[in-house]
Amino acid sequence: MSEHLSAATMNAIVDGELETTELARAEAHLAGCLQCSSECLSTGVLKRRVRAAGAKYELPEGLEQRMRRAVAPTATKKPAVWIRWGAVAAVVAVCAALVPFEYSRTRHRAEESALVSEVVDQHIAVLAANAPPQVVSSDRHTVKPWFQGKLPFSFNLPQTLPADVTLDGANLSYLEGRPVAQLLFRIGKHRASVFVEQRGGAAVSAADQAGFHVAGFQTAELEAVAVSDTDRARLTELMQALQAAQ
Amino acid sequence: MPLLPALYNVARWLTRDAAEAEDIVQETLLKALRGFTGFAQGTNFKAWIFRILRNTYLSSRSGLAASRTVALDEELDEGTTARVPEGAIDRETPELSLMRLADRAALEDAMHQLAPPLLEVILLCDVEEMKYREIAAVLEIPLGTVMSRIARARAALRTNLEAHRGFAKRAGV
Repeated sequence: MSEHLSAATMNAIVDGELETTELARAEAHLAGCLQCSSECLSTGVLKRRVRAAGAKYELPEGLEQRMRRAVAPTATKKPAVWIRWGAVAAVVAVCAALVPFEYSRTRHRAEESALVSEVVDQHIAVLAANAPPQVVSSDRHTVKPWFQGKLPFSFNLPQTLPADVTLDGANLSYLEGRPVAQLLFRIGKHRASVFVEQRGGAAVSAADQAGFHVAGFQTAELEAVAVSDTDRARLTELMQALQAAQ
Repeated sequence: MPLLPALYNVARWLTRDAAEAEDIVQETLLKALRGFTGFAQGTNFKAWIFRILRNTYLSSRSGLAASRTVALDEELDEGTTARVPEGAIDRETPELSLMRLADRAALEDAMHQLAPPLLEVILLCDVEEMKYREIAAVLEIPLGTVMSRIARARAALRTNLEAHRGFAKRAGV
């Protein structure tokens, strides 16, 4: 096996900074090295957690108005008024053109994309581990009670699942640092994970990443996110059955 | 001014003080206006205005205080080619669990414990999602130094999170 990847290379992978040929070489190593792939996954999780935690400080109320007032007089002190005002307009215009949405929306998008990456990672980790679920059962009356005392909320499983869908079992897992139920299904030959959590974190309705489809729904109390490489229509069908049971 | 919240967020992290962060952002905007004629159209405006913010922070009260207590750059930039330590080869490593289980407060604590040169590089990379090239322009350092600082920042975050976890366990949390 080739030499292990350096920390700098792993960071460059996670930060999307590797050139195509370097990336291909790194991916070839990762495919055969559990140690490096685990380390890389861990770096990716850290990056996403930092992105969410780092967007911490909201702009204080009235600060933008205070800034505009503070900036405006300077612009009129000098005689070449039109040049100064031109500069004010240009700075504001460039700011507006570069980042056309308000910060909270940017943060919302970042949290949504972090959630999508996290559920895809968790699903891949389960597939790669090839270990049995913590509770192995296709019976909803076994799986649901198993979570009693493990989760600070409860959820329902549908009486009948869509055709060719089976429940393999479930794991107690974590998303965004919060405990969640990871329900493991088979849709035909495709595996699917459905994460059920208490409402309050980031939400996602539909997304695609790394060949996986992600679909979600929310109720008054719960949020659910599903991930699978099956076709989207079949994943949506499963999610509709789960939503109807809540 | 849609970049204003991002400028304020970074200033607030670096100064740890709301009033000082406001002062720095205001000074940054004034400097940007004064220097706007020096801004080359077609170049990266975001990197340009963040460089002004960063230089303003360095000459501020907290920036100067930090520069007296922080290790020298040479020390910070050592150990750039750290390899993955030999150890557990299980895919679900304790470290991966640690990253997943760490709550937001623990992560914020871990970030606050970073030396300012490491904190600023991780904010620009992960929160502002700047490319290494842009970060190099903001911090006025070579690309290789950006990479080594990011590696050191992430390693330090892991160490801080492990320490936090150890403390929480001992405290029975």
